[in-house]
Amino acid sequence: MKPFDIVIVGGGGAGLYAAMEAMKTNPGLNIAVLSKIYPNRSHTSAAQGGANAALANKAKDDTVEMHIFDTIKGSDYLADQDAVEVLCSEAPKIIRELDNMGTPWSRMDDKTIAQRPFGGAGRPRCCYCADKTGHTILQTLYEQCLRKGVIFFNEYFALDLSVDGSRSRGLVAMNIKTGKIEAFPAKTVIFATGGYAKMYWNRSSNAAGNTGDGQAITYRAGIPLKDMEFVQFHPTGLRKSGLLVTEGARGEGGYLTNALGERFMKRYAPEKMELGPRDLVSRSLETEILEGRGFDSPAGKYLHLDLRHLGADIIKSRLPQIREMCMYFEGVDPIDDPVPVRPTAHYSMGGIDTDNLGRTVMQGVYAAGECGCVSVHGANRLGGNSLLDILVFGRIAGRAAAEECGKFNPTSIPEGELAEKELELRSFMQPKGHYERYGALREELGHTLGMNVGIFREASKIKQGITDIERLKERFQHVRVFDTGDIYNTNLLQVLELKNMLDLAETVAAGALVREESRGSHTRTDFPTRDDEKWHKHTVYTMEGGHPKIGYKPVTMGRYELQERTY
Amino acid sequence: MSDSTIQHHEESRDVTFRVHRFNPQVDSKPYFDDYTIRLEKGITVLRAINYIKEHVDSSLTFRAFCQAGICGSCAMRINGMSKLACTTQVWDELDKAREPGVIKVEPLRNLPHIKDLVVEMDPLVGKMQKYSNWVDSKMPEEQWGKKEFLVSEEEFLAYDKATDCILCASCVSECTILRAHKEYVSPAVLLKSYRMNVDSRDSIHDQRLAGLVQDHGVWDCTHCYRCQETCVKNIPIMDAIHGIREDAIERRGTKDTSGARHAEAFMEDIEKKGKLVEATLPIRTNGLAWTLKNLLPMAFKMVMKRRTPPPPPLVKASKGIDALRKEFKEMTSHVGKDHEKKSGE
Repeated sequence: MKPFDIVIVGGGGAGLYAAMEAMKTNPGLNIAVLSKIYPNRSHTSAAQGGANAALANKAKDDTVEMHIFDTIKGSDYLADQDAVEVLCSEAPKIIRELDNMGTPWSRMDDKTIAQRPFGGAGRPRCCYCADKTGHTILQTLYEQCLRKGVIFFNEYFALDLSVDGSRSRGLVAMNIKTGKIEAFPAKTVIFATGGYAKMYWNRSSNAAGNTGDGQAITYRAGIPLKDMEFVQFHPTGLRKSGLLVTEGARGEGGYLTNALGERFMKRYAPEKMELGPRDLVSRSLETEILEGRGFDSPAGKYLHLDLRHLGADIIKSRLPQIREMCMYFEGVDPIDDPVPVRPTAHYSMGGIDTDNLGRTVMQGVYAAGECGCVSVHGANRLGGNSLLDILVFGRIAGRAAAEECGKFNPTSIPEGELAEKELELRSFMQPKGHYERYGALREELGHTLGMNVGIFREASKIKQGITDIERLKERFQHVRVFDTGDIYNTNLLQVLELKNMLDLAETVAAGALVREESRGSHTRTDFPTRDDEKWHKHTVYTMEGGHPKIGYKPVTMGRYELQERTY
Repeated sequence: MSDSTIQHHEESRDVTFRVHRFNPQVDSKPYFDDYTIRLEKGITVLRAINYIKEHVDSSLTFRAFCQAGICGSCAMRINGMSKLACTTQVWDELDKAREPGVIKVEPLRNLPHIKDLVVEMDPLVGKMQKYSNWVDSKMPEEQWGKKEFLVSEEEFLAYDKATDCILCASCVSECTILRAHKEYVSPAVLLKSYRMNVDSRDSIHDQRLAGLVQDHGVWDCTHCYRCQETCVKNIPIMDAIHGIREDAIERRGTKDTSGARHAEAFMEDIEKKGKLVEATLPIRTNGLAWTLKNLLPMAFKMVMKRRTPPPPPLVKASKGIDALRKEFKEMTSHVGKDHEKKSGE
């Protein structure tokens, strides 16, 4: 195949924005977007609440500066301040750009884009389209990519980065529809494959495919990962499925109540109440449950998200999809009854270590969105900042790759690599004396992570988690793929995704063990306070002998000094 | 929260999933496999077939991603109706099953089959491209990002519902026209076209409309309403289709295409006779030459079978035609007023 100038892996918000921006920067480039699903199916579509930008449409006194401060404080001071400045100052521009290209937005009376309050934000600055903001942004970006004639390779599963010393030759991927392994030689590769929180499986709000493929591929290729121990639990997952009820539900005025009927957030965030940042609210729910003030059911312990006082009109007009989900998956209509909720693994703050232009340490390899870690979210992401992150840094990475790809000579991927990969995949299908089913391993991985590397962590539990993950990795050697066909072999894909999750789970647990402090989403009951002297630094992981080796990187500071974080 | 949901949850029974299987690599033709598993009430079809894949037959192939009804991956035919497996309750389907305790699961129709429950989505993407299913902004790209368009809430509401579409292709699968003509634009693409056409930020309305009135376009729909009945997001797709037609007649007149002429001929007949004058309908729609060339053999067959419609002079006006004409006049004057109001805005 003719070498590409840019190959983008992932067709969600970050990947599509990167593609659009790269084409805009240099229309003559040969660009391809690879995605394991049709791009319009990407998990960006599940973002309900909205995207933060200090447009000051709703609160006239809102400023970019305030958005920057809220984000840094929200990150528990682990975000890099220069990166946050990029994120927040680009925000109004990118939201207007989305509007200019045709994204639907809910509107205010003066016809400007509507904004709602969101957790951890000092002003109502979350721009939204009812409760389907991610969906409408994703649809619009996909439509615009079709308009511009972006070349898509839909249903291609990324397998490996082909590496030649310190630089990449391109990507090796499998065409899911044929099972054929194909080479995508490329001057530059942008990874935009989303997060890894699905490793928590049943205790995760994520789509089945949020398995950290890009992070695992780059990690195995020698590119460092960063801050992997920071996994955000969203406070309001539905009890039975872990599926998400948007923070917008609390933004609209929803209450959290316990079995005693108390609005318990008064104990934890007396000022912000339900609109505290996610790490704090999730811990509060978990504490209520641990201290016996939750409800009990065969599907587990839970608390109530009460929307009844908002009235049928607000619920129907601003939270229609949420109402539908509560009815489908819990059998509860939020107009009549409170919704049973509990915290659910939701977002990966960690990811591929990049600079502010999305560049990794390997020449020609970039990452953006939840897949990357710039870092703008530090130890805890604010609601409404994830859509913003994928848009802003997707665009930046697309532009950077378009400008820099000229520096790299085209290259090709040795045939031998494809043949080797083919053998490796085939080996999963060979009959074995003793074999393992991927489903069992995946369940156990989710279980041990939830139990031992969840919201509340401590050394002995994390060590148990690490032992479990190591055992699972050994057992994985015996996993058998029963579907031996070439065409659309989802059995094989599930096994490859599990492999990615296992490698990444090891970094999450290793990072959780070394970080002897509590910061943002990472809460150590044996080290309950933030320790800036020892731990105001990023954790960095490189793979050595199949396991993570941990190093550190300083946090870029700026205008804001370290402060205690209260709400 | 009512406690009843918890109690019902514990009810369990054996359920058989009769699943359409086909792997072109080894099978010469499709067949059905029966999987019987014990399930609890409250489980969705997707979770059930996930269970089958993990515990019974790993080769069973389907698409699924978000599991929350927003990505549109897992659309399939369940008991003969296209819908999302992830938002469909097994217990609801048991009520509809033809054979007690058996739920039939098949791939979507009207799209090329790949394997088991997976169909090819590329034709749908191709049609989105053909009919410019995107906003081509009035604002040049160099100016993007500087200021917002001002859009009223009413205008947003005009396309709000249409943007709920998740392209699951359930409507595509149920469309009766697509079964006859694979080239037909399809309900989802009409819906998206409508959504773009009512967006004031778009600059290619007329060009898109010109494409939609061509053959295999908006006039081919026969108003069977299957798309709307099927829509997993309850989008009034037929309103969008009617919206495009009204727009086409308003902007392009009634002589523009055979579709528009056909609609006009209907109106004419209803006003005059209260029923259709079928013998001349093809002539008025497509002209004399076309009719002679294309319909003569059929007309001949109809004569042989004595199934010809009565010649126009013999079509008597329906009983109560006066009352009907009065109603008709009132309705058309309303439409006229609405249009005046619209263009006056």
